[in-house]
Parts: sequence; C-alpha cells; structure tokens
Amino acid sequence: MRIILKPIVNSLNFIRTPRDLWRAWRGNIQLWANLFVIGWAVVFMLWQGAGFAVTVGTVFAIWAMLAVSLNLVVGFTGLLSVGHIGFFGIGAYSMAVLSSNPEYEQLRTEALTTFAWPFFAALPVCVLLSGVVALAVGVVFNRFRDDIYVLVSFGFAIIAFNVFLNARSLTRGAFGIHEIARPQIGGWTLNGELQFLLFVLAILAVVMLIAWIIVTSSFGRVLTAIREDEDAIEVFGYQATQYKLAIWVISAMIAGLAGGLFASWTSFIDPFSFILLESILLVSIVILGGLATIWGSLLGAMAFVLLEEGMRFLPFLPAEYIGQARQVVLGILLVLLMLFRPQGLVGKYKL
Amino acid sequence: MSIHTTIEGEHAPDDFALETREISKHFGAVKAVDELSIYIPRRGMTSIVGPNGSGKSTLINLLSGTLPLDGGMVIVDGLGLHLVKAHETPDHGITRTFQEVRLFDQISVMDNVMVVLTDRRVFPALFERAKQSHRAKAQSILESVGLWDKRDSLAMELSYGQRKLLEIGRAMALDVQIYLFDEPFAGLFPQMLERIKGILKQVRDDGRTVLFISHNMDIVRELSDHLIVLDSGRLLVEGEVDEVLAREEVIHAYLGT
Amino acid sequence: MYRLREDYGTTLAYSLAVAAALYVVWKITQSPEQALQFTFNGLAVGAVYALIAIGFTLVYSTVWFFDLYYGAAAALGAYGVFYLRSFDTLGGRYEVNEPILNAVFALVTAGVAAWAMHEAFGARLRQRGTSRITIRAIDGVVGTAAGIYMWFVLTFPVLMTALLSPAVGVIVAVVVCWLLYRAYRYVLFDASAVPVVILGAVIGCAIGAYIGRLIFQTDGAGLYLSWAVSCLLAGIVGLALYRGLYAYMRERARSPLVMLVASLGILLAMTAFTTIIFQSAPRPLPDAFGSEPWVIAGANLKGFNIFTVGVSIVGFIALLFALKWTTFGKAVRAIGDDEEVSKVVGINTTVVIAIVFFVGAVYAALGGILSGHDTAIQPRMGLLLLLKGWIASVVGGIGNLYGALLGGFVLGMIEQFGIWDLAGEWKDAISFVLLILFLSFWPNGILPRR
Repeated sequence: MRIILKPIVNSLNFIRTPRDLWRAWRGNIQLWANLFVIGWAVVFMLWQGAGFAVTVGTVFAIWAMLAVSLNLVVGFTGLLSVGHIGFFGIGAYSMAVLSSNPEYEQLRTEALTTFAWPFFAALPVCVLLSGVVALAVGVVFNRFRDDIYVLVSFGFAIIAFNVFLNARSLTRGAFGIHEIARPQIGGWTLNGELQFLLFVLAILAVVMLIAWIIVTSSFGRVLTAIREDEDAIEVFGYQATQYKLAIWVISAMIAGLAGGLFASWTSFIDPFSFILLESILLVSIVILGGLATIWGSLLGAMAFVLLEEGMRFLPFLPAEYIGQARQVVLGILLVLLMLFRPQGLVGKYKL
Repeated sequence: MSIHTTIEGEHAPDDFALETREISKHFGAVKAVDELSIYIPRRGMTSIVGPNGSGKSTLINLLSGTLPLDGGMVIVDGLGLHLVKAHETPDHGITRTFQEVRLFDQISVMDNVMVVLTDRRVFPALFERAKQSHRAKAQSILESVGLWDKRDSLAMELSYGQRKLLEIGRAMALDVQIYLFDEPFAGLFPQMLERIKGILKQVRDDGRTVLFISHNMDIVRELSDHLIVLDSGRLLVEGEVDEVLAREEVIHAYLGT
Repeated sequence: MYRLREDYGTTLAYSLAVAAALYVVWKITQSPEQALQFTFNGLAVGAVYALIAIGFTLVYSTVWFFDLYYGAAAALGAYGVFYLRSFDTLGGRYEVNEPILNAVFALVTAGVAAWAMHEAFGARLRQRGTSRITIRAIDGVVGTAAGIYMWFVLTFPVLMTALLSPAVGVIVAVVVCWLLYRAYRYVLFDASAVPVVILGAVIGCAIGAYIGRLIFQTDGAGLYLSWAVSCLLAGIVGLALYRGLYAYMRERARSPLVMLVASLGILLAMTAFTTIIFQSAPRPLPDAFGSEPWVIAGANLKGFNIFTVGVSIVGFIALLFALKWTTFGKAVRAIGDDEEVSKVVGINTTVVIAIVFFVGAVYAALGGILSGHDTAIQPRMGLLLLLKGWIASVVGGIGNLYGALLGGFVLGMIEQFGIWDLAGEWKDAISFVLLILFLSFWPNGILPRR
C-alpha cells in the first residue's frame, strides 16, 4: 500500500490537475507494476466471477509461499539457488507417504508402506524433514559462491528428482502416490476447494508474517550485508556461514510446508511436479516480482498464475501449448528484466 | 593441537596492543609478508609506511583474519593466535577498514552502521528488532562523520570521500581497542583529509590504539607516535617517527637514491 | 588447525579416488567384456561432453560468465538436423514444415550476414570514400541475399544438396585463394599482388568447383551438409545473442549473475519454443553410419561412436591450434586475461568475442547433434547436456582447454562405470555427486588453469 500511497502523499502539494498526477506517477515502475498486476487480477475476477479465485487461488498461494521462501535466499542473502523445488518435493513426498490411505495401497501390486496419519500430524514432519535435509545440504553448499553455487543448486534439484523417480520402494517412482489426506479439524474435513483455499491463504499469511519478522530483524539486516560483502561482514564478528545456513534451513522449511500443502491439495503426486524446469520457473517468479521484497514475491506469483489464465483466452493458442507459451513469455520477460531492470518489478536488490 | 598459546616473554602483556612473531604469507612464489615480527604499542598512533608491494595491506589482512596466516603467530592480549579467524577479531578487540572501500552497497547508510551494532549470535539476532539504543549510537556515529543527512540513501549512491568516511564510521561503531585503517587518506580532498585526521585523533585521545597505512609523509609526521617501515615483506626500521624518517635506509627505500 | 583440516580433506579425496580405481579394477576382473563395453560407452558419451565442455570453456575463459545459451544451442543443432532431414525419419516432414520458423531463421541469417559484411568491409569502404548510403545498401543486399538463400535451404530440404554444394564450392574457392595470397605475401611481402590474386582465383575456383561437384554427386552428403547448416544456425544465433544482448549488458558492466539469469531466460524460452514446434516426445535422428555394431572382444562398438570420439579430438586439436598459433588466438587469450587492456592495445574486442561466441555455439551444436544421433533428441536435452558439459569443465579444471577434454572423458567413464551396479536412471545423480566431490576436494579440477 505504501508504494501506491507514497507518491500521492508526496505530490499532494503541487498537484493541481490530473496531468500533474500522471507526471508524478510516470516514472514509477513499482507503482505501475502493482497497478497492472492487481488490475489484471480484478478484471479476471469481474469477468470470470468469484469462482475464478477459487480455482486459481490455491495454486497462487502455493507458488507465493515458495516464492517468498526462495526470496529469503536469493533476494535477501544473495545466493542464487535453482534447486528449491527439491525441498518442495521432500515436503510433498513426506506428506504423501505419511498420510496416504493404506487401504488403497493394498489394492496395488507394488504396495508402499504408508501410515494414514492425519494431515496435522504429518505437516510438522514435512517441515522438519525439509529442514534436516537442508541442514545437511547447506553445510556442503556453504563453501560455494556465485556461478558455482548456481551449478551446484541445479545439481540438488536433479539429484532430488532422481531420488523421487528412482527410489521406488519409497515413492513408487513415476506411478506416484494416491489418496493423500486433506486437513481435518475436529470432525470437519476441508474437502471443498473454497475451504482449502481459505486454509492455504491463512498459512500464506503466517508465512509472510514469519518472513517479515525475519527480514526486519537484526538477523535480516546481517543477511543483506552478507549478500553485499561476505568478507567484510565477517570482520565485524558475524559468522557468515552460520547465517547462511540458518536462512537456508528456514527457507527450506517453508518450501517443505508448501510441499505438504500441495500434496494434500492435489491428493495425488508424481515426480514430474518436481522437475528442474519448475525450479527455474520459481526463480523467474522471484526475479520477476522483485528481489528482496516479500510483496514482490506475491506479485510475481500472481503475475505467473494470471499469465497462464490469460493465455487460456488467446484464440490462436491451442490448449496443450499454454504451459510452453507461458515459458516462452517468462523467458523473454526474464531477459528484458535483466536488460532494463535487474531488480525485478518492485525489487530492492540488483543481482 | 591447541591454536591458542599463552605467551610468556620479555614484555609484560600490557606494553603492546598487538605483536606478531615471524608471520608470513605467500602468494605463489611471491612472499608478500616474510617472517615479520613487529610490536604495536598500546594507546597510540602507529603508522605503517613502505613502497608499493611491500606487504602493508597484506599485513592488515593477516591481522584481521581476512587472509589466513601461512606461518607464525599474532599475539593479542597475551594470547598467541596461529589462526586468526575474521569473525573472532572483534572479540580480540580488533576492527579494520579496507583499502578499496567495502561498504554494503545496496543497503542504506543507516543500516550500514546499524548492522555492526546488533547481536552477533544467530538466534538472538533472529528475535531482535532495532533498538532505540542502536539507533542512537548509529545516529551519533553518522553525525560525527557528517552523513546523518544521507542516512536513507543507499551506500552506493555516496561519493568516494563519503564512502570512505562511512567506512571509518562503521569501524568506529564497534567499541574495540585496536583500529586498523588501510590507507584512510588515499585519494581524498584536503577538507575531507582534515576531517578524517580529526576522527583518528579523537579515537586516539579516547585511549584506543590506531594503526594506519599511509603514503603521505606529512600526515605520518603529524599524527603518529610510532612508525613501522616495511620493504618487500620485511621490517626495515621501526621506532619514533622523526628518528626513523631521518635514517638513511628509509630515505633510500623511499627515494631510491 | 587449518592445515590439519586441509590435510584431512586431501587424504579423504585421495582415498576416494583410490577406492574408485579399486572398484573399477575389481569390476574388470569380474567381467572384462562388460568392462570393455562400459569403456566404449563411456568414451562415446564422454566425447559429447568433451565437445560441449570445450566450447563452454572457450567462452567462459574469455568473458568469464556462464552462458546457458549453450544448452539451447545443443538442442537447436540437433533439431536443425531433424528438421532438415525429417523427410527420411519417422513422422515425415509434413509435421514440422513451418513457414514462420523458416522465415525467422532466414531473418536472423540476413541480419547477421549484413552485420558481418559491415564489420568486415564497412570501415575499408568508408576510407575509400564510399558514401554511407552505398555501404548500407551493400550490407542490405548481402544480407537479403543470404536470408533468401537460407529460406530456400530451409524450405526445400530435399534440394539441399543441390542448393548447398555450390555454396561449399564458393567457400572453398575463397579460402584457397586467401591461403595462396597469404603464402605469397609471407614470401614476397612487397611485390605486386595482381598475378597471385588472378592465379589464386583460378586455382581456387577449380578446386571449389570440383569439391562442389563431388558433394553433389556423393550419396549421403546431404546429412553432413545438414550438420553444417545446423551448426551454422546455432552459431549464428549465438552470435546474434552476443551482439543484441550480452554486448549491451557488458557495456553496462552488469554482474555475471545477471548475464547468467538472462541466458537462463533465453534457454527457457528456446526450450519451450522447440517444444511447441516439435512436441516434447523424444524423436530419433536418421542413422548416420548404419546401426550394425562391430563386436570386439565380446563388446559392441558402433562405427558412429568411433566417429564421435574422432570429432571431439579433431575439434579439440583445431581449437588448440587456433588459440596457440594465430593472431585470433592471441587476442582471445589477451581478452581472457584483461579485457580493458586488450581494448587499449588495439584489439577489436567486440569482433573477437563475437567470433568466440559463434565458435562456442558451433561446438555445442556439434555435441548436441552427435548425442542426438547416438540416442534420441528431445527439447529438454539441451539443459542436461549443458550441465554435463559444465560439470566436465569443472572436473577437468575451469578455464583450461585440456582440462575440458579430459574432464569430458572422465565424466563419461565415471557415469558409465557408476551405473554398473546402480540402475541407469541414476546417471545424472552420479555426475552431480561427482561434481560436489570435486568442488569440495579439488576445486581447481584435475588440470588447474595455469
């Protein structure tokens, strides 16, 4: 809101005509980006009705959660990780294995051991497991920087995907896992789309609050300093490796949380939701929205979801090409952003 | 193997703020610092001079742990360190500035100072918000270097002299005993020079130890009490300023005659 | 303490290497035929990795940023061959004859040809007093001609041999003429050039015509011509990207990460674009040398695999010679050491870097084509091949050309021997585990740069 209100407040003194307002707003890309994306969303809502929000809202919330978590690492700490989808997958698979219905499994030829835990018992495990894996991975990754870090994080995504696909005794490989539990509060199961949407949005709000607390604390300030000059901040007594490890684990835990929600929402997962490409898309969401702002990640995720929905209505584009066409658009957007606005739409940090 | 050794020797620990024993650093075949042993007296201003490539900056990098030692040891507070860890130097009472100004470019001037004031431990920092005391300290620092008006602009938007001032201010925000300044006077406008001189004098008058590198002999003569002359990684002379500057080998090393 | 830890790491690394060697030896004693088979496979796969790593290293050690376009170049090369030769593969040409695609590539070719014309001759023509409009017109005519020619080649692939053999003849003629002229200048540097130019033109035309005719008459030459065209296309796109994008960013001193993200965007867009046109399912490329393998000591060896290894080694030697003994090579190394200084001493850095980008993309495309003939092609092969090339260059030693070749073969062998006991699907995971081990214990690779 501040981004929209600030220029108005600043310019109240000399604005006499709408033309002055236009002048005050003209160069403000942040403002226009916000207005454009939110306006786009509103137009869709008015056009398609409230049901539109229910269909795309959950996808948006899960992408937004992931984007916020990745922004903590990429935007605030300056570690360009392309492997975040691995933690998302770990969260999703732990939710699937823990909460999938064993009765269904008995019908399969290759039965997995699943536990039929309730959703709320499994969710903390998703978060913790992602955190533990992140701790181990982070200890190794901490010694790399810049482009080597990118390469290694590619590696993490690929290794994670290989495990999901090939550790068949744990994940049933390409066939996936079915009948994953929906959240249950008392005797009330959140089966409806709208109920689930509200639940996910509530969790998104909590995640944003946590992220906000982190980035505005002293810890967050040190992270930005690490991003700018790791050697310099060490001289002032901060152990950069510990800080990097801490934020990496926190971020992975949020991604694991998103994974658990995703598994529960779709109630069926297979490894192909966690391929490297999704991770690249996630990075482009974060960069598109804006580095080092939480709001930017939300904006990026919203733009990403709306892009897909918007393409549905292009008459010359066959339905099966929508995903690919969106990638083309995202790729070109990424190039344009890097050329003219390396901090993303509303970002505060230039790569 | 213990990395800390208690030192007994000819000097009482209180005489010297910092002492090195035969420290060396090699870059490939080049010996940047070669078995160097120096003493830096407590509560005074010491300057290091020497031709380009004589190992002055490397020495400061070694003392502050930015570069690892290849051999020898650094003695601070009677504690002999074979390995100086950069993040432990404030605990030993050392802080520094860099030759090529290294600020946190894309955060605000205020945050550049605030960041060194807050809790250094990871978990307490996570739950610590900016306190009024931190703000007050940062304000006093920024006012003393004359950058309070610029507190909200990014560090990258400052001019070179302002960046230099901010870096010195950032170092002063840390309440330690020994300040290492790597060429604080290089490339500055005379007015700025006076300002930085004033800051350094103030630090000395507070009873701290200041060590700085400079090429400007007038400033060295004016400010410092103790002078160390390095040449190709070795100690050439050390002692009182006037005495040292009058010696023949120093003149020779500097003027090449 | 610090030294202690380093020693520990080195010991661990060496014991890992020894363990790997022992494992291989044990495997060889267990089943020599199988070991030989894995060695053949490893060499064939490694040759592809080596080719990509060589191109990658060339570019990286010149401009010092990771250009992910090379993945797209590999896929582009492979799909170029598929596109040009699809009348003799499954599916048939009618599926993919895309007028728009042809037009796009023709436009790109036209633009680059005009630019090359301008860069090569514009300044000289200007010195002779030719008006600016005339120079532009010449550029335009050359570009348009190249574009139309490209459009013909892409639209009528069946006629490709007929269309391209004269072009090859002309290129050979020009090269021969130029070589003769240089040799003559080398011996008699101040004599009149007219007789040798005439003589050279005659000899060059004769040789060029002969070779053109030879290509036209040989069966199967079309496949190799399609390789050349695809490599050229990938190279031209690489060059165009440099001119249009990276040069602009480098002028503004954007950080390497920004360039990396931009090239990630290009990779993303090009992969998706390829998928839209050719679908995501794997496609086969036509067999290059027949599929009947030779049996050597119980192991199968395809002629094509030997050819792949040969290509990678020849490519390596060619690049090595170019870098060691030509002015261009010296310029490339100078730019790699310090771009600003090379600019000051009068090296035309823009042109040299553009050529480097072109050559790198050609190598990547060649790698993609060879791997496509060996297995099958799919749009997302590019990213994986690129990552393997990247790993190979890290394993061999980043920025070292010898290291890139060695690293490619080492990576191929380790991947193949690694899947002996594990299943084949773990191949990618193995190479990344290898990468992390190398980065942790030998961050400089097997052959460190200098």
